[in-house]
Amino acid sequence: MIRLRNVVKTYRQGRAAVPALQGVSLDVAEGAFVSVMGASGSGKSTMLHLIGGLDVPDSGSISVGGQQLGRLSDDELTLFRRRKIGFVFQFFNLLPTLTAEENVALPLLLDGKSLHEARPRVESLLERVGLGARRCHKPDELSGGEMQRVAIARALVVDPLLVLADEPTGNLDSKTGEEILHLMKETAEQARQTVVMVTHDARAAAYGERIVTLKDGRVVGDLCGEEGERP
Amino acid sequence: MSVKYALLGILSERERHGYELKAAFDERVGEFWSLNYGQIYTTLDRLEREGLVERRDEPQARRPDRKIYRVTSKGRRELESWLGRPVARPRALRDELFIKLLFRAGGDVDPVLDLVHEQKEVYLGHLRRLTQRKFALAKQPQRDDRLVTDLLIDAALFHAEADVRWLAHAEQKLRAASRRRARPREESR
Ligand SMILES: Nc1ncnc2c1ncn2[C@@H]1O[C@H](COP(=O)(O)OP(=O)(O)OP(=O)(O)O)[C@@H](O)[C@H]1O
Ligand SMILES: [Mg+2]
Repeated sequence: MIRLRNVVKTYRQGRAAVPALQGVSLDVAEGAFVSVMGASGSGKSTMLHLIGGLDVPDSGSISVGGQQLGRLSDDELTLFRRRKIGFVFQFFNLLPTLTAEENVALPLLLDGKSLHEARPRVESLLERVGLGARRCHKPDELSGGEMQRVAIARALVVDPLLVLADEPTGNLDSKTGEEILHLMKETAEQARQTVVMVTHDARAAAYGERIVTLKDGRVVGDLCGEEGERP
Repeated sequence: MSVKYALLGILSERERHGYELKAAFDERVGEFWSLNYGQIYTTLDRLEREGLVERRDEPQARRPDRKIYRVTSKGRRELESWLGRPVARPRALRDELFIKLLFRAGGDVDPVLDLVHEQKEVYLGHLRRLTQRKFALAKQPQRDDRLVTDLLIDAALFHAEADVRWLAHAEQKLRAASRRRARPREESR
């Protein structure tokens, strides 16, 4: 599903070069739930952004769902992001002037659908994340946990192949965080989606069946398969 | 020791013989705590001597009498008072890892860092196993003790998380210390 080969990314900070990824190779199977851990600055978010086509590597190759991202034009990349990938971020990234329902519908609206057409799917997702009664609330009328549920519903609205989540529970208390993780894992299982979730929280990471550890822009740990029994 | 109170608690629901007692114990807390029959019978003998349970022997055809235990009123009072008391001594810091680190101290930092890293992976594997169990548990039908089992898993998760965080913290400190030791040498070159 995801294939990274010798991916290198260096940021320029004035005259200094900041190496963010120093040769990362990784394969993720379809339907897997992979957690990425590592200290602050280890390159987790950078890796997620590159997989999601939000940024491009300096060298190395990335393919997602059989598609070499480097070969796509800007327009193709935009469509790929919008149709194939659901993003969930730590700070929810909801538009403050839109209601929960409109925020969830947004990816479909951007893709040319009307709110009317989008509504059945949007309603059923808001039900699914337990927010059926909050669909007309604006983000500032929702709690952090509720905003994150809206963000998850929005990520899932296009029925993406891949869900990319960056610290999805970073701002939530541990019980709410647990509910969000449970929801993500359950919906991914049902829709057979692949999930890559970045977190520095070991309890959150444990929701993945595979835990990849980054350090200084390199993969230094990859816990998968045999060490844990299957549920 | 709380085996005593776990047995008292189970017997407080209804009288049971030794085999049933073990089955009930295993069902409730067996995932976290294993007991053999020897431990159960020694504990029952002690409870009986202290007057907290009483035993009645039920004859069985062609087999030895079945020993049936029930809680006395003194036992109930003792259980109630135990249930209401907080635990005085938190988890002991008696990890094998500390001993290993102790004997490595002062030497080359790399093998220590390798050990710390591997130990972290072990804890992560443990966390993942517990989380899978927790996820599966949440899908099961609601029962009175499901919440308690979930909380017990949470406790184990929080402990393992603390271990992982401590190891990550130790890793950073060990690294910083070894850089400090390496620097004067580099400068003198
Ligand atoms: N846009 C940018 N411009 C310059 N440097 C950047 C940029 N984005 C990231 N970096 C640098 O790249 C390195 C990796 O950053 P990244 O955001 O991937 O880390 P992270 O593992 O997600 O950390 P955190 O846990 O703090 O979110 C860091 O040293 C960071 O300062
Ligand atoms: Mg980050």
